[in-house]
Amino acid sequence: MKTIIIGLGNPILTDDGVGVLCALEIEKLLSFEIQADIDVTEASVGGIRLMETMVGYDRAIIIDAIMSKNGHKPGTIQILTLDDLRNISPTQHSTTTHDTSLVTAFDMGTRLGLHLPSQIQIYAIEVENVYDFSEKPNPEVAKAIPIVTSMVMQDIQ
Amino acid sequence: MKRVTIDPITRLEGHGRIEIFLNEEGNVDNAYLQIPELRGFEQFSVGRPVEEMPRITNRICGVCPEAHHMAATKALDALFHVEPPSVAKKIREMFYASFYCTDHTVHFYALGAPDFVIGPDGPPAERNILGVIHKVGVEIGKEVIFCRKRNHEVIAMLGGRGIHPVAGLPGGWSKAINEEERQEIEKAARENVDFALFSLKLFADVVLANQSYVDLILSDAFTHNTYYMGTVDENNLINFYDGKIRVTDPEGNEFVKYDSKDYAEHIAEHVEPWSYLKFPYLKGVGWKGFVDGMDSGVYCATPLSRLNASDGMATPKAQEEFEKFYETLGSEKVNGRYKPVHHRLATHWARLVELLYASERMLELATDPEITDPNVRSPVTETPDEGIGSVEAPRGTLTHHYKTDENGILTDVNLIVGTTNNYAPINMSVKKAAENLITGGNVTEGLLNMVEMAFRNYDPCMSCATHSLPGQMPLEIVIRDSNGEELERLSQFID
Repeated sequence: MKTIIIGLGNPILTDDGVGVLCALEIEKLLSFEIQADIDVTEASVGGIRLMETMVGYDRAIIIDAIMSKNGHKPGTIQILTLDDLRNISPTQHSTTTHDTSLVTAFDMGTRLGLHLPSQIQIYAIEVENVYDFSEKPNPEVAKAIPIVTSMVMQDIQ
Repeated sequence: MKRVTIDPITRLEGHGRIEIFLNEEGNVDNAYLQIPELRGFEQFSVGRPVEEMPRITNRICGVCPEAHHMAATKALDALFHVEPPSVAKKIREMFYASFYCTDHTVHFYALGAPDFVIGPDGPPAERNILGVIHKVGVEIGKEVIFCRKRNHEVIAMLGGRGIHPVAGLPGGWSKAINEEERQEIEKAARENVDFALFSLKLFADVVLANQSYVDLILSDAFTHNTYYMGTVDENNLINFYDGKIRVTDPEGNEFVKYDSKDYAEHIAEHVEPWSYLKFPYLKGVGWKGFVDGMDSGVYCATPLSRLNASDGMATPKAQEEFEKFYETLGSEKVNGRYKPVHHRLATHWARLVELLYASERMLELATDPEITDPNVRSPVTETPDEGIGSVEAPRGTLTHHYKTDENGILTDVNLIVGTTNNYAPINMSVKKAAENLITGGNVTEGLLNMVEMAFRNYDPCMSCATHSLPGQMPLEIVIRDSNGEELERLSQFID
């Protein structure tokens, strides 16, 4: 099963880049073994461009920051599906100001007959500070990085 | 008290809140678009080697990393006092034209077209790109995706990386192109030209052929007489990559033309207590508030502004469309220049004229005999000190300004991002839309979408200012009475 792991976020905006940091860890671990059918990428994109990065894959694992409306504790990890984004809440980067949400983009891709993953799993890490420029997430948020990394590694083993 | 909840719609995602204040008669007193502040970019950057800026600033925004990369790279040329070889400038411009093709395409089909194809009063759930595809056909959706795919491949090939490019260096570009790559780029550019022509035809068929849409575009509710800014070449024709900054007045006369390094002599920033973002205005006119006219220093920097600030397009097919644009919208030609079009909804059409120009320009550069020259970098020998670089980002003139010590370590950073230029006009457009829909305390249904239409045409890049979204749909409109009490809250949030 061809799999893409996508870490989303802005790595210079404190907690916002937590998904990117997870992806970098996963990439490091995967470099020790040959995994021809797994790609790892990171980006700060949403909507249509995010959907486009998943074309040609059977499975996608997305790691992103989230700010829940009713505020979980920073570092809380939620596992969501595309339907959760549709029905409950988008994550930080699944939407974009400039085109559309990931959900609509995904529906559009499906309608156009693009080969999109049949399985999408989203790890959403609760964050707090996405307003200050810094390369380091806050400690509570950073604690989620090894946990999500090992969860994703288990998923793909 | 009436409470209206608008069903979630997904087309306008950003991080903004609009506050509308009513006076004692229940009419609109003021309307504000508020954008939260991102803090500490200067502290973050100071102390770093300045060569990192093209890679750092392209992280500010996930929407136009290419624009930040290019403005930063040009600022480095100036800062290290190095002139890139001609081929490097051409590769940069070709890369940038390809980026414009993806960016303008997605804005038109995902954000602009739904209001016209589905209709401004259509069901919100259908007013998105999926609705457009449903109505106009799957083939169009495929063309949009093909257009983006071929240009993303060109961007990755030239930029060294798919999404956040890395190829810009002081004095040039890190990678030359070979003949095989050139042929691929030429093919993509030819397809872009066809696609741009197709998109303009679609606009003519769907929008211009429908009198009610033409009336909407021409209506006073979406019109502001302001100054316009854009980058022009030596013939006063539009250029996205390089040239002088030209500002024209509301009558269409050239007000000022300057090198971007002199921006601080011409642009000042007004501060309001209710917003962290500042409001740039023309120093030579002065700040008179959020008002139209010759005496108000408010200016606008968008696709429409670039057309208005130029004498025309530098490529033949785009020039034909440029003329059609002004003639169709009733602008006369005075002293060889068309009078400006002030109708904000015409920005969607202007964006397509620019898409055609970007496509044609990309093709010109891809077939330039010099483009495969391997000498893509001039050596850097001078001591760095200060540099300013600017490009036309899709959303307005983007300026990067850096200062360093003699070792190239940053001591000072200032950025004026595209959307910031338009912050005052966006607020004016929001207020005007609200005025038309709220009278005597009664809020007309459809307020949310009309307000959205008023500022969607600017394609405001709130990501640049704020970047992140809360875990909810972001546009919220709060209406307050003359005592500041909340009367109504319209939102598209998902609880």
